Amino acid sequence: MESRPLVVVGAGVAGTAAAIEAVKAGVRVTLVDENPIVPSMMGLEVPLFFGRRSRPELVDRASMLENVSAANEALAEAEEAGVEVLLGTCVWGAFCNSETSRELDGPQIGVADGERSWIIKFDRLIVASGARDLGMAFAGWHLAGAMGANGAHSLMSRYHALSSQRMVVLGSGNLGLHTARMALDAGLEVPAVVDVSPTVRGDDAIASELLAKGVELYTSHTVREASGSAGEIDSVVLVEIDDCNEPVDGSEKVIAADTVCLAVGLVPNVELLSILGCDLIFRSELGGHVPVCDDWMQTSVDGVFVAGDAAGFHDGMALAPEVSRRQGQVAGIAAAESLGAVRIEEARDRREGLRAAPPAGPADVQAGREKWRRSLVKAGGLDVLVCPCEEVTCADLIDLRPPRYLGWESEQMGRRSLRTQLEDGPVNPGQVKRLTRAGTGHCQGRLCREQVSMLLAKESGADIAGMPLMSYRPPVRPLPLNVLWPHDETEQVRGDWPKWFSPTNPVLG
Amino acid sequence: MAMERADVVVIGAGVSGLSSAYFLAKAGMDVVVVEKGLVGGEASGRNGGMISERVDEPPMIPMAVESLKIWPTLDDELGYPTEFTHQGRLQVAVSEEEMGDFFSERDESLRRGLSVEELDPAEVVDLIPGITGRTLGGLFFANGGHANPQRTVQAFAWAFQDLGGRLYQDTAVTGFEIGGGRVASVETTAGPIGTDVVVAAAGPQTGLLAEMVGAHVPVAPARVEILATAPLEPLFDIALVGNGLYGRQAARGNLLFGGGPHEWTDVDLTSDPGKPNTPLIRNIARRLAELLPVAADTPVIRSWAGIVEQAPDYMPIIDILDAPSNYVVVTASAHGFGISPATGKAVSELVLHGESSIDISALGLDRFAGVGPDWREERGWVPGPERT
Repeated sequence: MESRPLVVVGAGVAGTAAAIEAVKAGVRVTLVDENPIVPSMMGLEVPLFFGRRSRPELVDRASMLENVSAANEALAEAEEAGVEVLLGTCVWGAFCNSETSRELDGPQIGVADGERSWIIKFDRLIVASGARDLGMAFAGWHLAGAMGANGAHSLMSRYHALSSQRMVVLGSGNLGLHTARMALDAGLEVPAVVDVSPTVRGDDAIASELLAKGVELYTSHTVREASGSAGEIDSVVLVEIDDCNEPVDGSEKVIAADTVCLAVGLVPNVELLSILGCDLIFRSELGGHVPVCDDWMQTSVDGVFVAGDAAGFHDGMALAPEVSRRQGQVAGIAAAESLGAVRIEEARDRREGLRAAPPAGPADVQAGREKWRRSLVKAGGLDVLVCPCEEVTCADLIDLRPPRYLGWESEQMGRRSLRTQLEDGPVNPGQVKRLTRAGTGHCQGRLCREQVSMLLAKESGADIAGMPLMSYRPPVRPLPLNVLWPHDETEQVRGDWPKWFSPTNPVLG
Repeated sequence: MAMERADVVVIGAGVSGLSSAYFLAKAGMDVVVVEKGLVGGEASGRNGGMISERVDEPPMIPMAVESLKIWPTLDDELGYPTEFTHQGRLQVAVSEEEMGDFFSERDESLRRGLSVEELDPAEVVDLIPGITGRTLGGLFFANGGHANPQRTVQAFAWAFQDLGGRLYQDTAVTGFEIGGGRVASVETTAGPIGTDVVVAAAGPQTGLLAEMVGAHVPVAPARVEILATAPLEPLFDIALVGNGLYGRQAARGNLLFGGGPHEWTDVDLTSDPGKPNTPLIRNIARRLAELLPVAADTPVIRSWAGIVEQAPDYMPIIDILDAPSNYVVVTASAHGFGISPATGKAVSELVLHGESSIDISALGLDRFAGVGPDWREERGWVPGPERT
């Protein structure tokens, strides 16, 4: 089995900074990044919400690899500094021993390229896995052309392969404004940036720049629906909302667009941290569940560090990559120190040198998200798919309806709902998932899990911060059976494979 | 305020406890179910969903056969869907070793007059499109099938409530008040509940509960793993066993298969035991791709693990303790799902009449008379040493 002293997951700003910091401290560093990703994964909306808006020529792996490297200067710097870089390699699992799983030969990650998977043991792990787009259901968002800001960024800057002419951006924070500007720079038309807030939330200068370029900024507006033919969006209907989030009759505006880009918020990618057993806590101001970590960016699991958007993201960070860079550097030096490569005093000095006041974030991120969600429900109704993979609507969720493919109806079932479920105890998103199937699809819950929790919190009157996180399970990337296939399987595992427990023993006594 | 009371307190909202609660409530008993976590939150909601006559485990056959009389009408009886499908169970052999298991099961079936059919490799392929052509043969048991565990356990819970039953989630048992050789009340985190009868159906926690009333019920918890693929076109509706795996294609089209080594572990009475998966899912993936080459390119999108319990002989226990004499033990040794309808029926009969119309004579506690307190250590059925 391969073994490495320090593995860094994700070669974004934080991951490259961590890798460079640690390698300069004398540690042997392995930096793993899934880009260029396997094109078929994009169609599953994994790892980002690509909205089926990638150009077909993307399948050329060599040019993808070239683009990925060209788009990331820090990557070249890391390689020059001596970091072992594994591109096109996703991390689909992370495993360490715990109370009920004690037989692993030390902590390890599962990685895979397009062809095969393997296991790498690690002494230290820095998870810099970034953030993904917050899904927000509106009528028609299952059509090709509904996508997320990070998915769009990736297709524009990393792959030069965004197949889109006219993009409406939802969200006027820095994330949305930045996305609109990138789209204009990439040659797209951006007819509108939309927000439920009464004023533009992001940077004034960028907003002015967008206005000057003819972008309409629709504040106090939401989406009623996106529609189109042949499974593709070709227009979107906006509607004005009043102070109570109610749509204003007659205020609808139809905008021609082939793409609706959700830039309402980002969600930290904590799936590897979650399956490792790191303590997670819901922090509205950081975009959702984030790992509990100390001043060294170390999580509650010894030897596992976090940096960048995976540690928490807010809109104030969208234009401030130095936050991620510093976190990466701190995690890098901390990992190096814990491996004995640098002295604690030296590491402490380095950390103090990196200390800087973080940029301010929005006051109440979750309230902003909730306002979006409510406005979308009021404008589009509850018969909108919250889980496009499994075709579960908001109403299905509230009524705890079994999936349609069962064709089940009964008087008893009709009386059951989230409300009746509450009589038995607090609503549990995992239980609701298994009953309604919301979140069990091929995108592995990426598009719907936050909305499902928000909807459950709203319907049950619970505080979303206290609602259990729907569990993450490996593989956290959808990997074909023949890729997951253990080419390194030992004869022992192969040969000692038991029948379900063991054959019957003679009855005792 | 007066203490809450019930005719029967069932401990554990798994499929055995809730089936028992349902049949007891149906018989007119006033029943409370207490559950430390969620309905079907542990093994009952996350097992393979397999249903058969259990000719591989002869002591269970009467229970399994009785269950298969109840399953076909269970959805209508409960009023909720279980996804039960009755298309049979196919066991294929991909190795000489698996072929070896065939003869005893075939003979057991024939001896008991149960339906069994020997298939050659071509017939196996006819039955399961996309299965490997490299089987050595199959045994088809027409009276078998599968259902959705989470939906089934929830169906029992809801039907039980529809009969007036009380169900408390997030309520752990903390002790028992015993008087005159009987449990007088069950102490819980939500307060004591006075009762005439206790039904302890607490899965891996069954042994710990029994200790609190001074009894020895030998069960050892173990962690096992399953994976799920993305949905495929409908291929087969038969419960499938072979190549070291067991599983099914769910109504939605996902392949759900588990198997392989288990890991002995420990649990406690109040917390949710961790249920991590391990790299073992890769070995399961390989075996599934070998068994069903048609699915080799299908992505695995999820896995999960569950904590099951095992008695020393891998068989269920359904019995009443000698003391306290109103304490019923129900534990299934990881076989609980398929036989759950009969479990409920047997337990309700045991509570109401002191005996069951189903032959549960092989499932009594007397068979453990020679099992000492250190049996887990003696057999090595204990958690491995802590490693980092």
